[in-house]
Amino acid sequence: MAAAAAPGPRAPGGDGGGSSSASSSLSMERIQSLTDLSDLEAAYGRLCEEEKVVQGELDALLEQQSTIENKMVALHRMGPNLQLIEGDAQQLAGMITFTCNLAENVSSKVRQLDLAKNRLYQAIQRADDILDLKFCMDGVQTALRNEDYEQAAAHIHRYLSLDKSVIELSRQGKEGGIIDANLKLLQEAEQRLKTIVTEKFDMAMKQGDLPQVERFFKIFPLLGLHEEGLSKFSEYLCKQVASKAEENLLLVMGTDMSDRRAAVIFADTLTLLFEGIARIVETHQPIVETYYGPGRLYTLIKHLQVECDRQVEKVVDNFIKQRDYHRQFQQVQNSMMRSSSAEKIEPRELDPILTEVTLMNARSELYLRFIKRRIISDFEVGDSMASEEVKQEHQKYLDKLLNNCLLSRTMQELIGYYITMEEYFMRETVNKAVAMDSYEKGQLTSSMVDDVFYIVKKCIGRALSSSSIDCLCAMINHSTTELESDFREVLYNKLKQGFPATTFQDFQRGVTSAVSIMHSSLQQGKFDTKGIESTDEAKQSFLVTLNNVEVCSENIMTLKKTLESDCTKLLSQGFGGEQAQAKIDSCLSDMAAVSNKFRDLLQEGLNELNSTAIKPQVKPWINLFLSVSHNIEEEEFSDYEANDPWVQQFIVNLEQQMTEFKVGLSPVIYDTLTGLMTSLIAIELEKVLLKSTFSRLGGLQFDKELRSLIAYLTTVTTWTIRDKFARLSQMATILNLERVTEILDYWGPNSGPLTWRLTPAEVRQVLALRIDFRSEDIKRLRL
Amino acid sequence: MKSSLMHLVPPVSRDRIISQFPKWYTPEACLQFKEHFHAQVRAACQRSTGTVGLKLSKVVVVGDLYVGKTSLINRFCKDNFDRDYKATIGVDFEIERFEIVGVPYNLQIWDTAGQEKFKCIASAYYRGAEVIITVFDLADIQTLDHTKQWLEDALRENEPDSSFIFLVGTKKDLVSDAVCERTELDAIRFANEMQAEYWSVSAKTGENVKEFFSRVAALAFEQSMIKELEKTSGRMAQIGAGNLIKLEKNLMEIPEGNTQASLSCC
Repeated sequence: MAAAAAPGPRAPGGDGGGSSSASSSLSMERIQSLTDLSDLEAAYGRLCEEEKVVQGELDALLEQQSTIENKMVALHRMGPNLQLIEGDAQQLAGMITFTCNLAENVSSKVRQLDLAKNRLYQAIQRADDILDLKFCMDGVQTALRNEDYEQAAAHIHRYLSLDKSVIELSRQGKEGGIIDANLKLLQEAEQRLKTIVTEKFDMAMKQGDLPQVERFFKIFPLLGLHEEGLSKFSEYLCKQVASKAEENLLLVMGTDMSDRRAAVIFADTLTLLFEGIARIVETHQPIVETYYGPGRLYTLIKHLQVECDRQVEKVVDNFIKQRDYHRQFQQVQNSMMRSSSAEKIEPRELDPILTEVTLMNARSELYLRFIKRRIISDFEVGDSMASEEVKQEHQKYLDKLLNNCLLSRTMQELIGYYITMEEYFMRETVNKAVAMDSYEKGQLTSSMVDDVFYIVKKCIGRALSSSSIDCLCAMINHSTTELESDFREVLYNKLKQGFPATTFQDFQRGVTSAVSIMHSSLQQGKFDTKGIESTDEAKQSFLVTLNNVEVCSENIMTLKKTLESDCTKLLSQGFGGEQAQAKIDSCLSDMAAVSNKFRDLLQEGLNELNSTAIKPQVKPWINLFLSVSHNIEEEEFSDYEANDPWVQQFIVNLEQQMTEFKVGLSPVIYDTLTGLMTSLIAIELEKVLLKSTFSRLGGLQFDKELRSLIAYLTTVTTWTIRDKFARLSQMATILNLERVTEILDYWGPNSGPLTWRLTPAEVRQVLALRIDFRSEDIKRLRL
Repeated sequence: MKSSLMHLVPPVSRDRIISQFPKWYTPEACLQFKEHFHAQVRAACQRSTGTVGLKLSKVVVVGDLYVGKTSLINRFCKDNFDRDYKATIGVDFEIERFEIVGVPYNLQIWDTAGQEKFKCIASAYYRGAEVIITVFDLADIQTLDHTKQWLEDALRENEPDSSFIFLVGTKKDLVSDAVCERTELDAIRFANEMQAEYWSVSAKTGENVKEFFSRVAALAFEQSMIKELEKTSGRMAQIGAGNLIKLEKNLMEIPEGNTQASLSCC
């Protein structure tokens, strides 16, 4: 029972799958155990279904039978063919193996042949070499006998370039003894040739026979004596440089002081020296390159530089002596320490020497740049395949040569003194310009601004002409200091004297006050017309100084820009080191900062002018507003229309007052000043407004007045004044309301494009100025 | 917020980023004892990243010849030491980039010649120096004596009290610890007279060099930030004519608020 129960639940599952296994899903036991009719019927039904399925499968299999049989037949037919193929394949494999072996054989033979050929070549080479050696031995002898040193050197060169092992080998050969003897001869010939060439070279050098010198110079590298050749040759060149320089120096000492170039004669001498060396380099570089190979120019120039230094020293020594350079420097230093004017050296006397020093330095820089370029390009050719290390090494050599040569150091020293003297020149000349300051009527600025900037430009320009970046930057720094402290101080002190406001103000106050002043002054016995004149002068001076300050600020920026482009030019020509640009930028930005200091000074001066000259006048005029009632009815309103009570007169007064400034100040400053005045008016008018009371028509009146004022001010300023008057305009709007609540049409969400500049408290305050608005209504407003 | 800040800052080498205030060398001669940046400066830095132009300070290095000014600078800027002595002619110049509290900052280092004959040209570069570094050789006590003169010369070209002053003893590697300590006592006395901060360094070994320049950069940076803050608030007062007082007050309140915030987060 237990066994029968177990498959029970499994039966339907297995049955559903339509299994095609031979045994039915219903086991015999199961069928036998069925007792119930319905169960039996169900089992029967299921078995019938299964039978049908099995029948179907069998049919399908039977259908396939024919195709399978066909395939079998085909396979049987292919059997013999396959055997054939197998045989062919084996044959092919055999052939391939055979071919492979054959190829292997052939190639090994070829390799052997190749080896043999190489050996043969080597043998021929060696034989050639040995023949060459013999030929050299013979050749050298003959050539030496015939004094054909080029030929002899060529033989020696051939010998030297031969493989040493070849020589070793040939010595071990059968004829070793002979070769040994010959070699000895050859070596002797080499030594002899070396001595001969050196001797001949020295002789040629002594006689100054350039063709011979060059002839033997070309032989040295053939004998492997590159360094010696170069040093000997440069010795010869140095001699030439020296003799030429001596000649030039003698010529200089004998130059008449009236000569056109007398003032720059030492610079000219240096130029000649440098040009001479440059020409030598130029002429002989091809020979050196051809016979000594690239990368050798450095050695030549290194030797030449020693002579150059020696000659420069002589020239500079003479310069210092003849021009009294050190004494002049001492004197300048003393003059700078002490302020006593008696011993002061006249700056104009320094002018020529300063020019000459910068010219000397410029020539040196030019020369150094020349040799730098030449050496770099020569190294570049030689180092194209070299490692980075070698390149750096060469760069280091070059830097050392350029920086450590006496020429650089001597020039640096001269420039050091120059800087101090130039600084003195600038400071003293600027002082003079300030002292001689004059003002011409109709001019906005006085003479000293133009003069001072001319001087500064001249001094920096001279420093620039030295082509030394350090020198230029130093002079820019000195100029910056001079402008920032000394010259700004001058202008500052002038402004500090102030704009004489009181008299001016009183004078404008109308006849009565003028009379009363005159009266009181006469009583005190003080009044005189001179006072007015000097006041006028003081006013003039103040305004001119303001213009001066502005022009200074502008000029500094212009100067900076000019210098920037000048420096770019200088740097693009290859002067200055790696940090040159950064140095210049730093110094120039310092200079530009001084321009702002002048701007600040201008602002200070304008504020001063505004508070001492404009405010004391404008304020009373505005205060007159208080005496005009704005608590008015229809009748007064139309009366005001006919006879303007305040604003027209105010505008006329303003016009009068500003005319003077308009004439005396530059447009830019005048504009700033009117800007300041406009702000002042807005603030002051607001104050008096809040002290007045208004009727509905009074509000309208104020609105009219404000509009006229704004219309006028718009014509005199280029600034937008709407902004400054925004608060006042909004107050006018409020004063013009029909009812208190009307404000809500403009406030908050209803404000539209209008941005309120007034706080709710201020709005209430302005509303309260309208006598017809009830304070409860105002308080009730929700703003 | 943080990520956007990072984005704006150009890449500065890692060891040039300063976020904590570098410490002094000796408390006996140092310019200030604070261990943090001025709260207002820190707040301003957080506020103004990216909007302000690049700040820089000028540093001038002076001292006798052969005390190692160029070596000191080369050790810091190029991290190398060249035994080969080559006198500086005129002036050398290096720009070193920092990032301090997230703000890019440059030190402009002017290396002057120590030789007397090149002094004329070198002295033209003293002006406008935010930092003056006077250098002497720990192994040569005379060079210490001369620092006073060097400083005097440099100060003459600058407005009084406008520059930080440092006194630096170099070649620490060349002297024994005992000698160094003895010399330092003298140097500290000098430094106090000069109102300078004292440091002992070695360019050869690199000892204290980075620390020293970080300290210089941090102090100069803070000073220039404070100056700028003063300037902007000063300008506010100038423009604001009476009616703008309220606005100004608002502006003043913002940094205070930020200060508290930054303090609480620290």
